Amino acid sequence: METFAPDVSSLPAAHPRARRLSADAAIKTFFASNAFVAIVVLALITVFLVREGFGFFGENLKGIRLYRRAGLEYVDILRATAQRHSLLSRELSQIRLQESDANALAAFDQFATGFSDAADDLSGIVSDTGDQALALREQGATDPNAVTALRVAETRFDQTAPVMKDKIDNLIATAPQLPTARAQHSFEKWKQNARVYLASFPETSQKLHAWNPNEPVPAYRAITSFLFGREWITASFWQDWYGIIPLLVGSIMVAAVALALAVPLGVASAIYVSEIAARGEKSLIKPYIEFIAAIPSVVLGFFGIAVVGQAVRAASHMSIFHWVPFFPISERLNVFTAGSLLALMAVPTIFTLSEDALRNVPRGFKEASYALGANRLQTIARVLVPASLSGIVSASLLGLGRVIGETMVVLLCAGNRIAIPDFTQGVGAFFQPVHTMTGIIAQEMGEVVRGSIHYRALFMVGLVLFLLTLGINYLAQKFVARFRMTIG
Amino acid sequence: MVSLLKMPDSLQQHLRRETNEPPNEPREIAVEIDDVDFAYGAHQVLFDVDLAIPPRAVTAFIGPSGCGKTTLLRCINRMNDLIDGARLTQGSIKIDNVDINAPEVDVVDLRRRVGMVFQKSNPFPKSIYENIAYGLRIAGVKKRRAIDEAVEKSLRAAALWDEVKDRLEKNAFGLSGGQQQRLCIARALAVEPQVVLMDEPCSALDPIATAKIEELIHQLKSEYTIIIVTHNMQQAGRVSDSTAFFYLGRLIEFDATEKIFSNPGEKRTEDYITGRFG
Repeated sequence: METFAPDVSSLPAAHPRARRLSADAAIKTFFASNAFVAIVVLALITVFLVREGFGFFGENLKGIRLYRRAGLEYVDILRATAQRHSLLSRELSQIRLQESDANALAAFDQFATGFSDAADDLSGIVSDTGDQALALREQGATDPNAVTALRVAETRFDQTAPVMKDKIDNLIATAPQLPTARAQHSFEKWKQNARVYLASFPETSQKLHAWNPNEPVPAYRAITSFLFGREWITASFWQDWYGIIPLLVGSIMVAAVALALAVPLGVASAIYVSEIAARGEKSLIKPYIEFIAAIPSVVLGFFGIAVVGQAVRAASHMSIFHWVPFFPISERLNVFTAGSLLALMAVPTIFTLSEDALRNVPRGFKEASYALGANRLQTIARVLVPASLSGIVSASLLGLGRVIGETMVVLLCAGNRIAIPDFTQGVGAFFQPVHTMTGIIAQEMGEVVRGSIHYRALFMVGLVLFLLTLGINYLAQKFVARFRMTIG
Repeated sequence: MVSLLKMPDSLQQHLRRETNEPPNEPREIAVEIDDVDFAYGAHQVLFDVDLAIPPRAVTAFIGPSGCGKTTLLRCINRMNDLIDGARLTQGSIKIDNVDINAPEVDVVDLRRRVGMVFQKSNPFPKSIYENIAYGLRIAGVKKRRAIDEAVEKSLRAAALWDEVKDRLEKNAFGLSGGQQQRLCIARALAVEPQVVLMDEPCSALDPIATAKIEELIHQLKSEYTIIIVTHNMQQAGRVSDSTAFFYLGRLIEFDATEKIFSNPGEKRTEDYITGRFG
């Protein structure tokens, strides 16, 4: 700041010129200090985010190391097999719904029960070993020999697996025929899956034997388990995972829906207002759209729950929409509900900035086009929109920045299920609930212990969000700069 | 025929002298402006303007700022339609004996027949090629060959071909001011209009670029009817065959350029030309 202010003290105080200079300097200082405060605050936010967040990696690494040393990782190998078994059981009950013949169902139920019971021994091993591993973790897994006690499990598994395999092979060999063709088809497919599952037993056994509690966990795992982790599990009795992927995917999907709706709406209304509307319409539409920005987001979220979500689900149950492959949808709060409300929030931003960009297209372009015999549509499509394209793109990017950072609406409307949607359903994935980066921070920050790993993980999520919006805004500015150059 | 009477005798003689036509033969009229009143909302800017513009010649509109000459020019291709509340309150403008403001006239078609070059050069932010091709593309021309030929023809006509033929795909903003203005002329010529309106086409150019454009105008008049608005007396004297002097929204005098500059019929014309006001 000193650089701005001339050295006043050396001048005689009574000199009128000096007086004027000092007033000048005061004004300069005032404005400079305001700008300075803004910059300092931004810097402090960044520093704070980084300081609180970066501690996460150390603790995360510690957590992952303990996970291995205490044998939780070992149990998870077994658990994966048990989970595959129960997944197959669930599929059986799905197939059951496709069958109506009572006789066949009785035989089928017997088969299903037999299959489900076959895993009893495996479940026993998992739960016993799991308890041991948890106890080990409680102690901090200081005794390296304690883990060896766990490893009874692999012997037990090696004994159980062939028995299980025989049982299930027998069951499949004597499996009942289902009279309904569709059910039988699904059942055949299931049998194939079951065979693949049975064939995986030796591999599991191998993994168990090869597992080594003392193998060091590389340090980069602390970062990769965060950036590429597909699970966000907190405060569980077992192992906590802080993987950002489900949240990132949720945020991106919601933003994609919002942009897909808001960009056409915002740009089209900007074109209408700047090129087509009569003066009366203009003075009505412009403030009206800009007023949307004034609606508190919690009110919009409320509207989303009560009206939009309800309406979309009700519509999906209507018979005229039965041809849509993923209808009817079961969740009222989903990506689409949140996205469509966020679109409403992004429209004013996109509209206002696009309209500015369109209005800044030199009048000469428009006149030249009309003078060559172009009609209004041709002039808009071939001259105005291309000339203001970078302005429109940057408007959309700023809209995206706003959408990614928005919290209240997604917290209320996105359904808050921390899971990556099932993309095998295609577009149907957009009608599943998700959780978002902003939503998780708002929801969990109030409950975590200050300084805990969970608290730090949330800061890391905040940092990722911050970098993301920073990047988007930077891109937007780049586009604006290009826009100025082409018009130049 | 009736409107022929509106053309002053000296102008008729002048034109006959130029084209060596026998006297008393009925002359064509390219644009016939008939008792036109024009207003922006409640503000009337043209009063009872009556003017017959000869074909394949250059007609200059001169007069002090705000005298309505640009407004009249923009009436001829109905560019004033773009302004809210601007309208012809009386009279008519006819091209080929058709009232251009008649409801059945397609304004798009009219503007293809009446091209325009603006005061400030306004190429589109596209390549040189695409600037020229624009008028053809919007008219529905799809054939690449036809467009290629038209681009070359109009760039040659605008005396720009040799300077830009190697960089047709470059952005038009890379051209100099004078080149940009000639590009705009080429763009207007590409759709083969009958009439070319020029609204102070040299006001933003240096003397050398201005000289080039003037020479171009001189070449173009054998094929096109050119109407040029200018503030530059010398330019009007150099390029035009006939000159119309406007003052406060009225046509004061319309005659052969030689006559206007050597022996004007009206005192106000003389005052303006000799620089006593304006």
